[in-house]
Amino acid sequence: MSEYSKPLPAVQPWSRPFWEGTRENRLLIQECKACGAKIFYPRKACPECWSAELGWSEACGRGKVYTFTVTLTGVEEKFAGDLPYVLAMIDLDEGIRMMGNVVECDPGDVEIGMEVEVVFERVTDEITLPKWRPFRG
Amino acid sequence: MSKARSAIIGVGEVPTGRFPERSRWDIIYDTCMEAVCDAGLDKNDIEGVITVAPQAQPRLTAEISFGKIPEELGLKNCKDVCIGNAGGASTTNCLRMAEHWVTSGIAKAVLIPHVTVHTTIPLDEVIGFFATAGMDLQWEYPFGTTYNGMAAMMTQRYMYETGTTAEELASVVVALRAWAALDPNSMFFGKPLTIEKVLSSPMVSTPLHARECNVLADGGGAMVVTSAERAADITDTPVYKLGHGVRYVGAAPVLRHDDSMRESWRGAFKDAFEQAGVTKDDIDVFEFYGAYPMGQCVMLEAAGICELGDSGKFIMEGCTSPGGKVPCATIGDAVGRGHTGSGVSMANYIETARQIMGKAGERQVPDCRLALATASGGSGMNTTATVFGREIR
Repeated sequence: MSEYSKPLPAVQPWSRPFWEGTRENRLLIQECKACGAKIFYPRKACPECWSAELGWSEACGRGKVYTFTVTLTGVEEKFAGDLPYVLAMIDLDEGIRMMGNVVECDPGDVEIGMEVEVVFERVTDEITLPKWRPFRG
Repeated sequence: MSKARSAIIGVGEVPTGRFPERSRWDIIYDTCMEAVCDAGLDKNDIEGVITVAPQAQPRLTAEISFGKIPEELGLKNCKDVCIGNAGGASTTNCLRMAEHWVTSGIAKAVLIPHVTVHTTIPLDEVIGFFATAGMDLQWEYPFGTTYNGMAAMMTQRYMYETGTTAEELASVVVALRAWAALDPNSMFFGKPLTIEKVLSSPMVSTPLHARECNVLADGGGAMVVTSAERAADITDTPVYKLGHGVRYVGAAPVLRHDDSMRESWRGAFKDAFEQAGVTKDDIDVFEFYGAYPMGQCVMLEAAGICELGDSGKFIMEGCTSPGGKVPCATIGDAVGRGHTGSGVSMANYIETARQIMGKAGERQVPDCRLALATASGGSGMNTTATVFGREIR
């Protein structure tokens, strides 16, 4: 684990529950208790109504590929070992959109609209990244 | 209706390309002196310097921020300096601030320089800078984002929604390079391309091939701005700023509802046209700065020149190329010019001014009286549109 050399997310105090969640293989979405908005990315105050009364709910972990790219070259050295890799925007069933990687499949099989499910990749003791693979049901 | 308040009255530029031996201060001297001479002014007429913030060059940024340019150039009557950073939209901000300075009594004439030298920065450092600039360090960068990757994802979605083909997208580059081939200041001067050559270049990040991506380059330019009131007394070829519109799109690409930026461009164009008192049909040249080929397509659609999804075909038919009925991006955008960080917008405004001044050489659009110039910052955080013209309207 200690040899993970790629960039880790720059965690903020108000996003810490998200990363504590992924460490337990749970995908958490921030919610506003005042106006009910589902919030991504997590904020200190609700971006809809500025309420500071915020909570968390667990996502079902499923979504669809909104768009993607298969990256083949032109990356920093620390990502070079992953080439080719799929970078994608995922529309979660809960109505938010996240950036991520589509894994556990041939990059050539990824397409817009493809159903995916979350998988958790523990990269350090502190950080587990949510990733996405084709939905297996 | 427009009441022009400021005008560009002089421009200077060095060729864009890979010139590691040409220092940053060489470029500042050459471009600034050329711009002031082009305006027909004396160096001591410059009363303010508002510089486009260079990207990925922290030492240079510090030197410029803390006032080195007027001292170095001996601008004896300079009253103040400032630096403007909004990535690719920095120059837009410098023009806006210059307008304030020349109309509020701070300065009679303002110099706006830009310089970038990429080739002497270690490659991994440059890639790293552009991999993180304009991306979210928590929610995007850990997954391996790059500028090419972000543009690729937007392009993939655009092609999916509009049915634009790979050949049509490649033809955008062909059109841009046709303009660049006529531009002695482009790194692709005299080097036109074909669709086949674009599509046979290596895939970088699907669906973008190498020739659909930007080549980082060195370059610089400078402009002199004065008030609309004074402009005609100083030069025979003032370039009046007639109308301006902007929209904020969003910082993190993954959060943008308007991910193609089409609605944001539409809003910026509407405001710019209304303020200038013109319509799209009055515009003689569209200096679109889109950074990647898809940007040209989206802006044609947002301006109402093409229906949604028809712009690729329009470009492939040569309508935006030299001699076409709707000339667009006559320096070839960043893809045709070479990418100088925040300097592409400087090059684009300089070209806009040249077209209005009638000094665009082989690229000159006949009797060019009105031009639209666009810019965008970061990975597409905003859309800015400005109408320039030969007469105060």
